Amino acid sequence: MANTETALKECLSSIDGATAVALVDYTSGMALGTLGGTKDFNLEVAAAGNTDVVRAKLRTMELLGLKEEIEDILITLNSQYHLIRLLKGRGGSGLFLYLVLDGSRANLAMARHQLRRIENDLEV
Amino acid sequence: MAVETDVLDELRRLRTRIPRLTGSLAATVDGLVLAHDAPDTEPEGLAALTAAALGVAHRMTDAAARGDFRELLVRGSGGYVATYAAGATAVLTLLAEDRVNVGRLHLEGRRSGARIADLVATHVEPGTGRHADRPAPAEHLAAAPTVTTRPIGTLPVRTPQRPTHQPRPQTGI
Repeated sequence: MANTETALKECLSSIDGATAVALVDYTSGMALGTLGGTKDFNLEVAAAGNTDVVRAKLRTMELLGLKEEIEDILITLNSQYHLIRLLKGRGGSGLFLYLVLDGSRANLAMARHQLRRIENDLEV
Repeated sequence: MAVETDVLDELRRLRTRIPRLTGSLAATVDGLVLAHDAPDTEPEGLAALTAAALGVAHRMTDAAARGDFRELLVRGSGGYVATYAAGATAVLTLLAEDRVNVGRLHLEGRRSGARIADLVATHVEPGTGRHADRPAPAEHLAAAPTVTTRPIGTLPVRTPQRPTHQPRPQTGI
């Protein structure tokens, strides 16, 4: 079991091409922890903005009558991948991991696999 | 154009930017309403309470040595009340539902606070608007450094300070 800080560190160190990561509470839009990011890439802004993404998707599923859960959301930009992984169980509901990957260095399949493993180990 | 209209435009823009925002109010630090976009609330009362809360908040940041006052967040069972500093003379108070994105509320509230501070600083001219009875801006500009060092909400703070000083001579005797 890993705490928030260790999990965020592991995201950046063990996932190829990872440049920034945040653990976000989407009931409030606030980040529980952030790592990486620069002055130009403010993770607090990303946390608030992606909270709206997650909420919009959950609302859409509700309207469509889908009784499923979101595992992850992938957003592909020109040179980056943004991966959102919702946490399940152990008091982790209402949280998501937000991972920024450099498109040229990242292996998407491996990144998703690693992120799933880190999420399973994470104890908030 | 009067500063009140510009500030009101800013408040209207905030409403489109923050989902689940139910009201907003810009006031001076001494509790006078600058502009409000808050249906179902009494803006004058809210502005006066904001000034009082600001006094306490400023003393808190001061006592805890956390620097200048930036923002104040109060959560009730039905939602949030957030107050952001808008320069040294104005404040912005936002009312939001419980399910609001607090991260976004903070981001937009801080930005808007800075914008209102600019509006107030550039628009308040001598002998115009609600603050015609205040000192001329030449004095304001000259006193600008002292304005920033002067605590926000000094007025409401003074009343509770007195009792803490009174008992001292008695204990000395």
